Amino acid sequence: MNTARYPQWSYSAALASLPLLTHRRLRWLMQSGSPVDVWHRIRGGERFLNGIDDAVWRAWGSVDDRLLIDISERCIDRGVTVVTMKDAAYPAALLGDPEAPAVLFLRGNPTVFTHRRVGIVGTRTATASGKHFARTLGAQLSAAGVAVVSGLARGIDVESHSGVLSALNDNCSPPIAVVASGPDVVYPREHSRIWNEVIAQGVLVSELPPGAHAEPFRFPMRNRIIAGLSEVLVVVESRSTGGSMSTVREAMKRDVAVMAVPGSPGMRQSEGTNDLLRDGCAPVTHVDDVLLALNLDTRRAQNWCDSREALSADEAEFLHAMGRGPRSMDELSIHTSHSLVNIAVYLGRLEAKGWVANTDGWWEALVA
Amino acid sequence: MYAAVTSSTLMATLGRPIVVEAHVGQGIPAFTVVGLPDEGCRESRDRVRAAMLSSDLEWPTKRVTINLAGAGERRGGAGLDLAIAVGLLVATGVVSQEVVEGKAFVAELGLDGSLRPTSGMAPLVAAVADREVVVAASAVSEASLARAPRLRPVHTLKQLTEVLKAEEAWPHVEVPAPLVVVDEVADMADVRGQEMARLAMEVAAAGFHHALLMGPPGAGKSMLARRLPGLLPRLTDEQAFRVAMARSAAGMPMTAEIASSPPYRAPHHTVSMIGMVGGGSSHLRPGELTLASDGVLFLDEMGEFAPTVLDALRQPLEEGVVRLSRANGSVEMPAKCLLVAATNPCPCGVSSPLACGCTNVAKQRYLRRFSGPLLDRFDLRVELQRPSTAELTGHMKGECSATIAERVLRVHELSFARQGCVNSAISSDALEDVAPLQNDALNILRSRLDEGKLTGRGYHRIRRVARTLADLNDEPGPIAAQWVLLALSMRAKLNTGMGEQR
Repeated sequence: MNTARYPQWSYSAALASLPLLTHRRLRWLMQSGSPVDVWHRIRGGERFLNGIDDAVWRAWGSVDDRLLIDISERCIDRGVTVVTMKDAAYPAALLGDPEAPAVLFLRGNPTVFTHRRVGIVGTRTATASGKHFARTLGAQLSAAGVAVVSGLARGIDVESHSGVLSALNDNCSPPIAVVASGPDVVYPREHSRIWNEVIAQGVLVSELPPGAHAEPFRFPMRNRIIAGLSEVLVVVESRSTGGSMSTVREAMKRDVAVMAVPGSPGMRQSEGTNDLLRDGCAPVTHVDDVLLALNLDTRRAQNWCDSREALSADEAEFLHAMGRGPRSMDELSIHTSHSLVNIAVYLGRLEAKGWVANTDGWWEALVA
Repeated sequence: MYAAVTSSTLMATLGRPIVVEAHVGQGIPAFTVVGLPDEGCRESRDRVRAAMLSSDLEWPTKRVTINLAGAGERRGGAGLDLAIAVGLLVATGVVSQEVVEGKAFVAELGLDGSLRPTSGMAPLVAAVADREVVVAASAVSEASLARAPRLRPVHTLKQLTEVLKAEEAWPHVEVPAPLVVVDEVADMADVRGQEMARLAMEVAAAGFHHALLMGPPGAGKSMLARRLPGLLPRLTDEQAFRVAMARSAAGMPMTAEIASSPPYRAPHHTVSMIGMVGGGSSHLRPGELTLASDGVLFLDEMGEFAPTVLDALRQPLEEGVVRLSRANGSVEMPAKCLLVAATNPCPCGVSSPLACGCTNVAKQRYLRRFSGPLLDRFDLRVELQRPSTAELTGHMKGECSATIAERVLRVHELSFARQGCVNSAISSDALEDVAPLQNDALNILRSRLDEGKLTGRGYHRIRRVARTLADLNDEPGPIAAQWVLLALSMRAKLNTGMGEQR
């Protein structure tokens, strides 16, 4: 029996940092004994598992205690908690998962995992109204005490979480972020503020050790954890080949209910979601749809209110006349038969109140 | 033995008088040109010799020295050929010095003794317009643009010699009077739909606001820019003269016509730095900026221009002149042009969020081709969309250029009476007096500034555009909120992903 010179968790962290590791190999390692034991057997060059290539054993045989010390120091330094399936902090939802990550690196408060959880995913190149919907849905779910699971990617992901964080109070549920890099490597970099807010208010989780960079192949892996953590997965906008579709596939494998937000036909951003609806997914047009799918009382949603400034009658009429979908000012002038200067005035007022958004000259009404 | 003959040389868009001295003396037969001549001028020896021999004139087998008198600047040009030949005639005693006093000679010589036009005839003649100016008969129409009262067109050197020897009268060649003409410019009425873009063109013309048109291929960016000169006020005599001089100096083919419509230049995106701002080895040719002065400079596909060429536009656009300094002198050329640039909104060029497949990062990278300071020069940044089928096929004709031009002219007159310059040139100090804001208009801008949606520079530019909009709608007082909002919607946010939004 090998003795532990370092805390137990550092051995788990070190095993999760081995080169050429897959989640399956890590699970096998963690199942073949205590982390301390496994670590020493690997260091001793023992090849104790079948089905692992010589090249992998050679790579593992070349590691030494420096890896363990480095990764432990880094975890302590960055405030990262290492949990394995035996720890109480490990999310119960992942325990039965066939592809569960054997070791998780957490930052923040792991008790959030015990809340009801809904995943919100979607495209990175979302429309303004899609972003607005994700934001509102995030805020409403959080107000209803449901934790929003998302990936902190650009577009829908980050909007849903900033919605959660915008109206957070004691009755609300904090967010759960699952990222595809180490829990201290902010990706994309412009999200560093919301990244830190999520850590401060909720929990940020990754199966990768601190210092690991986001690489393309890691995003589908991350998506399986989002699917595994969610009770219901809501797709807000996605192209038919988008990364969100991989989350949908993972969710379907796990029998997690997938719901989709209907979009205007012909928009690239709604191709994927409209396909899902055609294939029989339940539509989401309001937070109640999600709450019902969770068997929750829809009155919970009343904790949230639209804090935007109310519209005057003519503004509301104009907003209605704008219709859904992005429009240029020329189109608006044809559709609403107002003069350009009137349209500019309406749009200016509505934009200041947060009811319309402008992306590259296209105006969209933000009506949830 | 000695002769002094007046001619002129070209420096950028201006001619300068120059005295060509000739000395023929004893010594080993030789021919030297001194006084910092350029290549073209050194070659003139062979042309002058051949021309004199062809004209049955004697080439002196003596020591010949030609001096280009004046300050220590390099100068020359083939236009000095005739002056050198006449100088030799005087120095060898064929013609007397008194005869050439009060005259100037500007022409290139052919080997057969004929007089030929040289590039920049108009400014060359203008520099010596107070004298009797002898020019090639074939160059008479271009030379007439200089409005020299005593223009003497001559066909050959032989003919000129006869005249100078007082054996013949000046040959009769019709000197056309320069004619002010109005170019046919495409009409705004041809533009279907595109209300926003039409308005932007009107504002650009009325306040001389530089405009950036962003839109997918087929949105009509070039079409709109091509029609902009038709909206601008006609050139004054002085401006038209300046434009003609610049064109002649650039060696463009000229007739005896002076265009009173503002120039329109649309250089291809492969244009070099020299081609854009001017320069070159001999006499510093004017570039596209100068040729477009008092008119429109249109840069189609701005992203394809070399970044250095685009950045070279910054100082001239701000000051209205190009200042070139070279080893052989420095010059100023006018560069008061209205810049209109066109670009696709993103790499795929589709623009509609319904179909565009570009990621934000790709879009930002695309916009980063333009330097921030250059983007800041554009008061108007308008996003264009392709007109709908209904607009294209409909019978609704837009307003015609003439109607818009009337409004534009009124704003020009108003703004010159009020602040002595066009609205885009109002200094930021003068804005408070010239373009005061009504309270609610000020509040809108304040909140945009607070939210970081507007930069300090943008704030001033919005006020200038709003001033123009209010002027166009006959509201000379403090600017109302609606014009500020409309101005804001004509200044698209450009997120380059770096630093503040421009």
